[in-house]
Amino acid sequence: MAIGVAPLPGADRSIPARTPAERARRVLTYAILLAIAALFFVPFLWTISTSLKTLPETTGFDLLPDSPSLRAYREVLTEFDFLRYAANSFFLAGVITLANLVLCSVGGYAFARLRFPGREVLFMLVLATLMIPDQLRLVPVFLLLSGWGLVGGFTGYMLIKLVLASNLFFMRQYFLTIPKDFEEAAKLDNAGHFKTFWKVMLPLTGPALAAITILTFQGIWNEFFWPLILLGFGDPSKYTVQLGIAQFSFQYQTLWPQLMAASVIAILPIVVIFVVFQRYFVAGVVASGVKG
Amino acid sequence: MAATVVRKQRTLGSARVREAFVGYAFIAVPMAIFLTFFIYPLVYSAYISRYDWGVFGKIEALGWENYRTLVNDEIFWRAIKNTLLYTAVVVPLEMALALTLAVIVNAGIRGKGFFRSAFYFPSLASSAAITAIAIYILSADGLLNALIGGERSWFGDSDTALWSIAGLNAWTTSGTLMLFYLAALQAIPTDVYEAAAIDGAKTWRTFWRITFPLLKPGHFFVAVVSMIGALQLFDQSFIVSKGSGGPNYSTLSAVLYLYRTAIADVQFGYAAAIGIALFALIFTLTLIQRLLFGKAETA
Amino acid sequence: MKRHKLLLPALLLGLVIFAGAAASTSQGTTDGTTGAAATGEVTLSGWASSPTETKLLKAVIRGFEKTFPGVKVNYAPISGDYPAAMLANFAARKPADVFYVDSNVAPDWIKQRLLEPLDGFVAQSKLKTAAFYPSLLNGFRGPDKKIYGFPKDWSPLAMETNNRLLTAAGVKAPTTWAELSAAARKLRGKVPGGRPICLSPSWDRMLAFVYQNGGSFLNSTKTKSTVNTPAVKQAAEFYVGLIKSGLAGTPTQLGVGWCGEALGKEKAAIVFEGNWVVPFMADTFPSVAFTSNKMVRGKQEGNLAFTVSYSMARDSKNKPAAWQLIRYLVGQPGMKTWTSKGLALPSRSDVKPAAGRAAFIAAAPSARPWQFAPAFTKVMDVANNELTAVLEGKQTIAGMLKKIEQTANDAL
Repeated sequence: MAIGVAPLPGADRSIPARTPAERARRVLTYAILLAIAALFFVPFLWTISTSLKTLPETTGFDLLPDSPSLRAYREVLTEFDFLRYAANSFFLAGVITLANLVLCSVGGYAFARLRFPGREVLFMLVLATLMIPDQLRLVPVFLLLSGWGLVGGFTGYMLIKLVLASNLFFMRQYFLTIPKDFEEAAKLDNAGHFKTFWKVMLPLTGPALAAITILTFQGIWNEFFWPLILLGFGDPSKYTVQLGIAQFSFQYQTLWPQLMAASVIAILPIVVIFVVFQRYFVAGVVASGVKG
Repeated sequence: MAATVVRKQRTLGSARVREAFVGYAFIAVPMAIFLTFFIYPLVYSAYISRYDWGVFGKIEALGWENYRTLVNDEIFWRAIKNTLLYTAVVVPLEMALALTLAVIVNAGIRGKGFFRSAFYFPSLASSAAITAIAIYILSADGLLNALIGGERSWFGDSDTALWSIAGLNAWTTSGTLMLFYLAALQAIPTDVYEAAAIDGAKTWRTFWRITFPLLKPGHFFVAVVSMIGALQLFDQSFIVSKGSGGPNYSTLSAVLYLYRTAIADVQFGYAAAIGIALFALIFTLTLIQRLLFGKAETA
Repeated sequence: MKRHKLLLPALLLGLVIFAGAAASTSQGTTDGTTGAAATGEVTLSGWASSPTETKLLKAVIRGFEKTFPGVKVNYAPISGDYPAAMLANFAARKPADVFYVDSNVAPDWIKQRLLEPLDGFVAQSKLKTAAFYPSLLNGFRGPDKKIYGFPKDWSPLAMETNNRLLTAAGVKAPTTWAELSAAARKLRGKVPGGRPICLSPSWDRMLAFVYQNGGSFLNSTKTKSTVNTPAVKQAAEFYVGLIKSGLAGTPTQLGVGWCGEALGKEKAAIVFEGNWVVPFMADTFPSVAFTSNKMVRGKQEGNLAFTVSYSMARDSKNKPAAWQLIRYLVGQPGMKTWTSKGLALPSRSDVKPAAGRAAFIAAAPSARPWQFAPAFTKVMDVANNELTAVLEGKQTIAGMLKKIEQTANDAL
């Protein structure tokens, strides 16, 4: 088994191990991997099991509830407007992810492959924005958005998240790794900059775009601070999923079953997005480009 | 003859201009967002850090006094020390973990999708939920102690609290970084591996001699993003210590101190000074990182 | 002549009638059930302390809207970082009209001029403030002695004891420090997997013991810190001593999140928590029987009052309606409704608390509000961190008090 080596085109992955030693090693490797995976999964099993318990039961550590019931889920979906929260989060995450995909791939390409005066300085500026803690930005950003009347609605939040510096940075790095041969070929064909970008470079960034989709969607879905500040004041119909979940934490008490049930409901769309988009992490995308 | 030369020069010149124009156009919207919602607040913070600034604005002009107080502020330096130590541990840990996971997933094993999902799972949940689970598991009679024995409260002991947070964050962030490494691994053309295989190179050597160096732009990205994120530790620090930064100042991060000063003590000016100091620190460290490893970027 | 004689009294009578009519339209009555015609929309904010309390509060609001049909209340609680969200809205000059203010942040919010002084409204409505416990109301008076909020409810600390464990060890609920130590000693070894007492390693519990020993954190004019005094040192030594001798344990030592959980999981037989522990136990650990006893006393009685007020924003756009709401909420009927389930204690002496709260109410005379001076959170963080250092053996009590005194005096 070759670690760190992408499978060769045409290689048959299901060739069984030849020698007993190889087979033993393979079994051992899988065992270790499964153990690690289990470790990663256990907290989530615990989350699900807690959502099926009653509040007094949650104080113990047993993974299996005594008498599992979906009461918490029922409560979450009926007494609280959770489907609306999920819809809100979905809308916000979707729009912001799309905006990031477009703006960051375009911007990342520019920083990686186009030459313009002040490029490096501007790039350091982009990096610099990553170094400013949210808590420091709170008051000025809020005052700005409040002055424009953008607090309490989705527009303000979407505006500040339209482009995430980490996505831009990543796309730039990714474009840097693509061999210059592609561009040279496009230049010989007399393609303009946009055409080069659109027809040649962008299609090569499948895995990067997939990564950004997953991470941005999930980042916005899980975010609490800015939605609280910008949406959390007043109109519960604008709440996101995380704000909804926070409603189960009270000052002296947390309704664990409902909170976990809400968390499980909240995680499902993310899991779906992840499963769908992780297919794009496919080897050979670049290879086929070179050969063709 | 001369005419064609001149024409060539002119087209070359205007090609440059066109390229610059396209470049600026491509980054226009991102830069507008960054300038408005990041740089402007930074400048704003720099401005108010020279005042005693309250909720409604300036209370008193202080010149550089906030910074003078900051230099002598024991608690601030303790927060910085905690943050630096934490970063120094968490970043290599996260990177190693992420790379390992990416490599495992990228290799020709069965159940790729399953493992990819499993390793990414901790990153899916919100940090509040994960921290709540972690507090449960790492309590004195929690799951971890049940497995490895002992009675220590991992978050409640000032010797282990910060490192417990480091372990927790490394675990959750590794999934995210793994995705970046995965994408970077995919970008390596397979003919590179073909050539290595033809040369008869063993797998471990292939990895170290070929794959690892080719990942340099990936490393740089992961290292920078990871470091910048670690230096801004807040969520876990706040939840675990209930805002106090304890026990015994061990979980006090720089951003937590900033937050307490701004929100609890309502001293926006001093908090801004803390923020500017932290920004300067992060900027300097990133610059150093870039100078040391920057050359590797342009692959 | 006759005409002049009648004219003057008639005029005077007219004036009196006119004045009386005018006065009655601009005043309300003291219990807020009838009132002037304030109209408009009012936003009420705060945090949610428990699901039941939210329900009760909503019932009170509905009662208010029925009584004052011209006013619409927009109830918008914040689940999450309350101070951050509130401060952002204050800064933008678009705050909620009426909202919660914790006594701990009151000094800062008063100093920053975020709260509207209510004395004018009080005089106008002829509201009698004597019904409110003085120590609680004073917690919301500014340095100018004006009222910046009315306490909506409160809780002191009491001593909760596990019935079964105490009976089994033949121990009666202690009333003094000496009895407390004696009881703990008798309970040693009789609390499986735990310790006799649970003590939280923070000043929001230890300060009660300091008060009981005659000590204090600040002097009465809040100009100097009195924390580095023998009275405080003794109290701290007693508190820390209990933990170090194994008679008491901190929540982390006992493997729980807070002492209420220790009581529920039966890892401690004696804990010191406020009224909030009662509904917590009923919901989470319904099978554990416990008693709320009066707080122990040292040289004197001493306790902390954790209280929250309803306050009005200085930038409120509808102050008359906001005042109407506040008056109703802290009026007798309003307060009676949401303290009826025993989730909180009424801050008025003319409202009876729910059953079984005698131990808490008894502390009213000796309870001091949990608050200090503006910009004091940093000092309390230092205080708590030093205390945990002492408990870990990395700091001495004398050193801790000196450090705290220094930080406190710097902040004052």
